[in-house]
Amino acid sequence: MGLAEQSTIQRVENRPRLPDRLVVGPDAIRAAVLIVLLAAGALLTPGYLSLENFRILLMSVAAVGIVAYGMTLVVISGEIDLAVAGTAVLSAIVGATLLDTGSPVLVIGATLVTGLAIGLVNGVLTAFVGIPSLIVTLAMLGISRAVANIISRGQASYPDSVAAYLWFGNGKLLGLPTPIALLLSIGALMVVLTRFTTFGPALYATGGNTKAAVLSGIRARSVKLSVFMICGVLAATGGMIESARLSYINPAAFAGLELEALAITVLGGAALAGGSGSILGTLLAALIIGVVNNLLNQLGVSLYTQRVVTALVILAVVLPGYKRRQIAK
Amino acid sequence: MLSTNRRQFLGGAASLAVVAPWAKVGLAQETQGVHSILNDLIRQYAAAASSMTNPSVRDLYEQDGFQDYLEAYPVGDLVDGFVWEPGMGAEFEGPYSNLPIKAPFTDYIPLDEGPVLDPDRTYRIGFVFHGFNHPWLISLADTVAWEAARHPNIELEVIDAEFDDSRMGQVIDTWITRQFDGIVLWPAREAPMGPPVDRAIEAGIPVVSLDRRTSSSAISSEVLGNFYANGLQQGLYLKHVVSEGNMVLNRKDLGSTADSIRTGAFLQAIGNTDGFEIVGNYHTNSQRSLAFDATADALQANSQFDISFNTGGEEALGALGAIEEAGRLNSGSSGKIIILANDDAKEIMANIRSGAIDMVAPYTPLIGDVGLRALIRHIGANEGRNEAPPRLIITPNLPMVTRTNMTIEGVQTLTPDEWLYAYGPAVE
Repeated sequence: MGLAEQSTIQRVENRPRLPDRLVVGPDAIRAAVLIVLLAAGALLTPGYLSLENFRILLMSVAAVGIVAYGMTLVVISGEIDLAVAGTAVLSAIVGATLLDTGSPVLVIGATLVTGLAIGLVNGVLTAFVGIPSLIVTLAMLGISRAVANIISRGQASYPDSVAAYLWFGNGKLLGLPTPIALLLSIGALMVVLTRFTTFGPALYATGGNTKAAVLSGIRARSVKLSVFMICGVLAATGGMIESARLSYINPAAFAGLELEALAITVLGGAALAGGSGSILGTLLAALIIGVVNNLLNQLGVSLYTQRVVTALVILAVVLPGYKRRQIAK
Repeated sequence: MLSTNRRQFLGGAASLAVVAPWAKVGLAQETQGVHSILNDLIRQYAAAASSMTNPSVRDLYEQDGFQDYLEAYPVGDLVDGFVWEPGMGAEFEGPYSNLPIKAPFTDYIPLDEGPVLDPDRTYRIGFVFHGFNHPWLISLADTVAWEAARHPNIELEVIDAEFDDSRMGQVIDTWITRQFDGIVLWPAREAPMGPPVDRAIEAGIPVVSLDRRTSSSAISSEVLGNFYANGLQQGLYLKHVVSEGNMVLNRKDLGSTADSIRTGAFLQAIGNTDGFEIVGNYHTNSQRSLAFDATADALQANSQFDISFNTGGEEALGALGAIEEAGRLNSGSSGKIIILANDDAKEIMANIRSGAIDMVAPYTPLIGDVGLRALIRHIGANEGRNEAPPRLIITPNLPMVTRTNMTIEGVQTLTPDEWLYAYGPAVE
């Protein structure tokens, strides 16, 4: 066999086989699922594709979507943050203690700084002290909820006197309702962070194999600390958006937010073992959950049935990805 | 877990038992006997429920089995022929909430301030409930603690079981081991609390439940609220102001007493008015954000949306938020979406005052004092000092609150300014 002939054969063998060419990325699958759900909505309920319904839909997922962005970063790093609900509550309550000052800088600043501080504590205990994040953040969930109750004496607060706070729930930014604008802009920022900066590869490497990352010069502990801090700030932001939207800062709020955010993260393609996941996937996942709930509400389906359907949708979307990973292994 | 005793309260609670004059009692109110009036209406509408003519209402009523729940819910007279009037009750600062409170029933099953029973003995009483993070439940705890603080020989231990039934059971078992003199509890669910209550009763410790019931048939007393009158009045109000419209229901957890009785009684009241159509039925489970999203979606799905029925206050405020965000408060066939609420939080009252919410049926959390006094009577009965109170202690039916005074089927409504018992933080 001559060289030219051998080269031709190799080229033929290297050419992607037909099934591989047909394989589409996981985010494309999520986008397709979303389109199918929207089409189903359009068929089943009149006016489903209206701008007003998109507004309702995006408003309903904005806060949890932003919290899920933070969760996604933490999960990519190989850790987990079960404290996001406690972080959202405690941050909002700390901010509420300053409502009487009437100063938006103090109220919003205290809210975000509290989120940052909780993330810092979670990050230090996980990355530098070496306690598993599951334990650290579970403890922090309990602590932050309890402290929120102690500070607030279990009573709600009303941020009506601070217009800038309410803007986070009811205002406009770039012509869009603020929660939606923040969902999209923070999402874009996170995409830039994970795809177009050196932080992105370091994050994926840390989550994929921390030891290898450290040996290759990546400061894995700093990466983990950073994602916990970002997650804390985003949880506080999500809490502030929802509190502003309801004009109501409630120490009993956000029950189950951590699991909701985690479900969106997993639906978005992040593996709990770390090293994979994407912000775009998380956004698509939040939209899928939002469309399912919005559509079922409009069809008059009960909350309990909605939970079953949502869980089934998560399984249906996530399962092929896991099967593919198993085959790859 | 929080536990405390009387001494801790004496400094913080400005406890002052005063029967405050009800400034407007002499106005157009004829509320004496509202309990009996509402009981009569309950019986009247319960009897008519078997022949509902509205198919939309009847289908839901039958589908969710409301009849079974309603038939089992006690409706009856007050202890010792007590007659409640607006304006009654003591004012104090809540030991836990630090908020000003006027409790409506401090004259019901009365007990003088000072030592109880044997003045040379200290009576150890446990109060276990769920929810130091919930305004309604903190107010309930406030009234238990206030009553305990009025009696120097009562030592009260208060524990929050944080909505964990098994933890509540463990707390009760611990108190049995420590030979407490009595137990007051607010059970979240009926069935799991039956066995621990039975164990306490077997150990000779009287037990009184507040608001919700347990599955124990041996429990000493149950202090019950007025769920039936709540739902009924929502229906009476609706029928009074309109005779037709598309309605969306925001309900509490399926199978909960609050949902079964309030929603069932509401459906009984409107079941023979054919113009109402139920176009949405959601269980938003006392979560304002869920009620907000469900109502937003229902508004989108129904261009004709006239009435929002809410089984609780959180549901009503979530619905209101969505309706306002959609800019549709002043829409609907009557020119405004009618919003019906339960639970007399100050936030609800502010919205009644502004006209955003149309009516609320008060369901006061300020009944803990009644439970503690009943428990002391039980302890006294065990010591042979007095007679035991009845097993069922029904609290007075309370009249609905509307923006202006109205008379609806003999029930005279109160305005938010006349309703002195609202709980929770003040709202501008």
